[in-house]
Amino acid sequence: MSHGSATSRRRPPTPWLTTYRQLLVSVGPDAPSLRRSLIGLLLAAAAQGFALACIVPLLSALLSRRDFAEALYWLVACSALVVASLVLRWRAQSFDFDGRMAASTHRLRIQLGEQLRRMPLETLQSRRTGELNSMVLNNVDENLAHTLTIINLIFIALVTPLCTALALLAVDWRMALALLLIFPAIVPLYRWRRPALGRGKRILGEAHQQANADVLEYTQGLPVLRAACQAGAKAERLTSTFVHLETIQAIGHRKGAKPNILVATVVEVGLLIMLGLGVVWVLDGSLDLAVLAALFVIVARLSEPLSTFILYTAILELIESALERIGALLAISPLAQRQPEEQPTSYDIHFDDVSFQYAQGNVPAVREFSAHLPPRSLTALVGPSGSGKTTLTRLLLRQADPQSGSIRIGGVDIRHIPTARLHDLISVVFQDVYLFDDTVMANIRMGRPDASDAEVRRAAQAAQCLGFIERLPQGWQTRIGDIGGCLSGGEKQRLSIARALLKDAPIVILDEPTAALDSESEVAVQRAIDTLVSDKTVVVIAHRLSTIVGADQILVLEDGHLAENGRHAELMETEGRYQRMWRAQQRVKCWHVAAVRSNDDEPQPRGVA
Amino acid sequence: MTESTIPSPSEESAQHRCDSSRASSAWSIMRPVGSQIGYAMGLSVASALLGLLCMGLLALTVKALLEQPGTWPWELMVGVLACTVATYMMRLGAFNQAHYAAFRLERILRMRLSDRLARVSMGYVQAQGAGALTKVIHDDVRSLHVFVADSTPLYARAYITPIATFCVLVWLDWRLALGALGVLVLGFGILSLALRRRGEMVRLYNDARERVSSAIVEFVQAMPVVRTFDTGHSTFGRYQQALAAYLAVLTRWYRESGFAARFSWVVLSPMPTLLVVLWLGSWLTWHGDLDPVRWLAVLLLCTGMAEAVMPMMMLRHMVDKVKLSIARIQDVMAAPYPPVPSRETEQLPREASVRFEDVSFRYTPADDEALSRVSFDVAPGTITALVGPSGAGKSTVAKLILRFWDVSSGRILVGGVNVRHMTSDTLMQQVAFVFQDTFLFSDSVADNIRLGTPDADMDSLIAAAKAAQAHDFIMALPDGYDTRVGERGVFLSGGQRQRITIARAILQNRPILVLDEATAFADPENEAALVDALSRLMRDKTVIMVAHRLATIRDADQILVFDRGHLVEGGKHDALVKQDGTYARLWQNYETAQNWSLGQTSRHTIITQEA
Repeated sequence: MSHGSATSRRRPPTPWLTTYRQLLVSVGPDAPSLRRSLIGLLLAAAAQGFALACIVPLLSALLSRRDFAEALYWLVACSALVVASLVLRWRAQSFDFDGRMAASTHRLRIQLGEQLRRMPLETLQSRRTGELNSMVLNNVDENLAHTLTIINLIFIALVTPLCTALALLAVDWRMALALLLIFPAIVPLYRWRRPALGRGKRILGEAHQQANADVLEYTQGLPVLRAACQAGAKAERLTSTFVHLETIQAIGHRKGAKPNILVATVVEVGLLIMLGLGVVWVLDGSLDLAVLAALFVIVARLSEPLSTFILYTAILELIESALERIGALLAISPLAQRQPEEQPTSYDIHFDDVSFQYAQGNVPAVREFSAHLPPRSLTALVGPSGSGKTTLTRLLLRQADPQSGSIRIGGVDIRHIPTARLHDLISVVFQDVYLFDDTVMANIRMGRPDASDAEVRRAAQAAQCLGFIERLPQGWQTRIGDIGGCLSGGEKQRLSIARALLKDAPIVILDEPTAALDSESEVAVQRAIDTLVSDKTVVVIAHRLSTIVGADQILVLEDGHLAENGRHAELMETEGRYQRMWRAQQRVKCWHVAAVRSNDDEPQPRGVA
Repeated sequence: MTESTIPSPSEESAQHRCDSSRASSAWSIMRPVGSQIGYAMGLSVASALLGLLCMGLLALTVKALLEQPGTWPWELMVGVLACTVATYMMRLGAFNQAHYAAFRLERILRMRLSDRLARVSMGYVQAQGAGALTKVIHDDVRSLHVFVADSTPLYARAYITPIATFCVLVWLDWRLALGALGVLVLGFGILSLALRRRGEMVRLYNDARERVSSAIVEFVQAMPVVRTFDTGHSTFGRYQQALAAYLAVLTRWYRESGFAARFSWVVLSPMPTLLVVLWLGSWLTWHGDLDPVRWLAVLLLCTGMAEAVMPMMMLRHMVDKVKLSIARIQDVMAAPYPPVPSRETEQLPREASVRFEDVSFRYTPADDEALSRVSFDVAPGTITALVGPSGAGKSTVAKLILRFWDVSSGRILVGGVNVRHMTSDTLMQQVAFVFQDTFLFSDSVADNIRLGTPDADMDSLIAAAKAAQAHDFIMALPDGYDTRVGERGVFLSGGQRQRITIARAILQNRPILVLDEATAFADPENEAALVDALSRLMRDKTVIMVAHRLATIRDADQILVFDRGHLVEGGKHDALVKQDGTYARLWQNYETAQNWSLGQTSRHTIITQEA
């Protein structure tokens, strides 16, 4: 076990003051009003404590001294305090009920959304972060909605008895002291419990993660497992994962329950001892029986919240961790815009000694890469998967900045080009097309939001889309979400090309746009691409080398650096990587099923095993 | 629990389809651990009653001190201690039993669900999607916890305690009892006002929330794409709209039911009840009409009614939240099995042929026919290619052979026997399927190859890997055949993964082979090895392959051409090209696509007018 994980596990619990500050920050302009609400809840809990304390003089006046005037006085005092407590709490909870909490989380989510638009894409790229971000955005309101409720419960559990005890000092200091002594007993217990809880949660979290991964593997691999007759009861690994999870859950429950039992026991035993002392003092005549009776009533009210408040702190921890994640997300700074802002006027591209390593990678994805892409030229990036082709296009789109070297468009370092302007300069056609749940028209218009209907139509026509769009149930107004499954890969690809055509950016990046298509769609997509790339500076990532024999230059990448470069004919003359790749592909092209039978004279009908 | 939470709308998550009829079936999900849950609830009730007894004993202690001053009320004090301990132990026992039952239920349900998925039609699995099914088996089952473990003991208490308390209160003093009850009735009266339009609000709330969720998913997932267009402006707009709609629903809900909800919670909190009993008791005592010990007992007990009911109100939200999960679990549990004969009555295939007799098929009764009256014969040991534009039905034919679904009419014979008359194991022993999307388990390479033939020895395993051109790269892995796939950076390229699945199929050595040819091989340099592996696999087999690269199947024994669910042509390549029909068009397209190269046709002659 590494040292790092050991220390991270002993992370001390966040101080409540820090959480309080984070909470105030998260509600933004409503912070003063939230602070007032929290103070209101605190005062309400205190008033409730003093109200309970009034029962002591009330009962002793009424039962011991038969002094009705004094009893009435305490009855009124008690009522006034209860009313004050209810009113204060009512006002404090207006923060929830007037919708201010909802409005705050709404603002916070908008703010987080804006942050997501600004932060470097590379940070956003990995799937894991994607899920995490969705989670943060989705759960902000759920996590924060309970804040006031939970804080209220904790105040009632702690502040109310404290105030009751303080008031009792005036009546009988011994009983008050006995009650006060319970607090120093449970606070250390609470501090001791929190790390244990965190540990248990982590182990359980890991077991759940494992189970989730195994279930996903099972459901994804079900066709294979069933074909291999290994599904259902025969999936031993899955079964053992479930059993393991149950064991971990049971252990976690036992361990987690222990501190709760201990705290509750301390509280219950403490209160019983206090009542026992009360009986002793009544017997030796130093305590009024009516006071003891009143204490019984008070203790019956306090014992439950005191012994269970620890359960609420678990929810408080959820709020704490949500606030932390929000803070972490908001702390990511966007890629710096270098000054002065500049605008390129020509569209050639220079890569100058560019090196780049992903934050989570252990080797550079691109090393000392230099190339010049003249304006209106066609440059192909080829190489095995993982050789850095896609990384180069990402750097050109400034999804991340290289650690060294620079990229220039028309002589201007892209770090000096405002982000929005840079995006205007470049169109990308990806292998996987992302269509939005909106109309066909709106999906194409994304390329240029101010385009007229006629312009959208022209782009669609040039991208070979007219034919199938007109066949759709509502034509241009058909929502993609309703028919997503009905569009073929080639049709989706053509929509994305129409988008790019409409945008008419001077630089075009093609990331294997025809790789996943069947040949019939391919012809149409090819025609659409032909229209798109005319007169542009084009960067294309290609696996099928036959598609790029006409490129102005071919950059052959290997492990992130430039291995070879030149035109097709030049590269074929040198015995290098490109030539090997080309030969292998030609051999595959010639493969056909007759090859299978070349060794056999006659197909052999076979019986059943 | 002293003060309960406000009915915060975000706790609510029940959907309209979970009406009261679902409520009863929500409890039925616990049936496998019913007795343990019953035990837990019994313990919970017992602890609640003991708690009442404890309060009674406290009152009696005061009575004893009052009537026999100077005498130690030993028995009563020991009784209080014993009751407190017993109450606590039983409550803990109930809590523990409910939790262990819940964990056991999770395991049982997960096993039943995964077993169910092994038997339902594969079509059902595909229609639901692996992601959704995983969510049911893991997340939905997990979310039962709050219902089964946390709420069952509280439920029992919530129903028994108020009744028992009220009975005791009436016995002690009916006037005070009525006072306490009055507060309770007032609270619930107002609460019912708050809940009047709850169903509709819950529905609106859930809809709005769902829209927010999908807007978030779109916003985050599409970020890399949309940034290149309008810096994410359009998706951000949709995200904002969804959030605004959600805020509007939430605000409306607070406005409409907020006052009544808050007021009822204030009334039902313990302090008002205590205050009423204090005033009433003082007044009665003043008139000498109340025994102080009885008054004390009432003071100790009166808050118990509201206190026991409040958690129940909270539970309502919890259970509502879980109902959706329960419904999803029950949906999967109710998915029908296709009828399968028993081992004794099944018929065994005689040879390695495949025959479609007038087969029609639709995915759901509402869909158009995916296949219409398709008939063809595949003789043992021959190669048949299925070709056609996308959506023509080629893949459907391939999957029907494996009985992913049952045909709507007609029949499919494998080895002369209707696939419906074989057990699934027999059918699977007959047919090997090499899928387009390769799937490897996070297990050792050897176990991945051995899948389906667990008894294969290492020699035959290595022979299969060699035949699949996989042996060399496997030996180069850190632990050779024992290397675990997908762990600590052992990631295989697409081509390597494909060759492992081919080795698997070679080892299985089943007489009929269904191939869904990959449209794009992962990396060009591995293609040659892959092609050799495929050739080795196909030797001596009856092969049915879905083909995209028409050049590969030029000399197949039989080419079947599909178009929109119909078998439109069939025969050998040369004859089909001469017919000048669908195949001839596909072939021409194919050749055009093969000869396309960026920057040759286009860059100097700009084509814009193409229909």
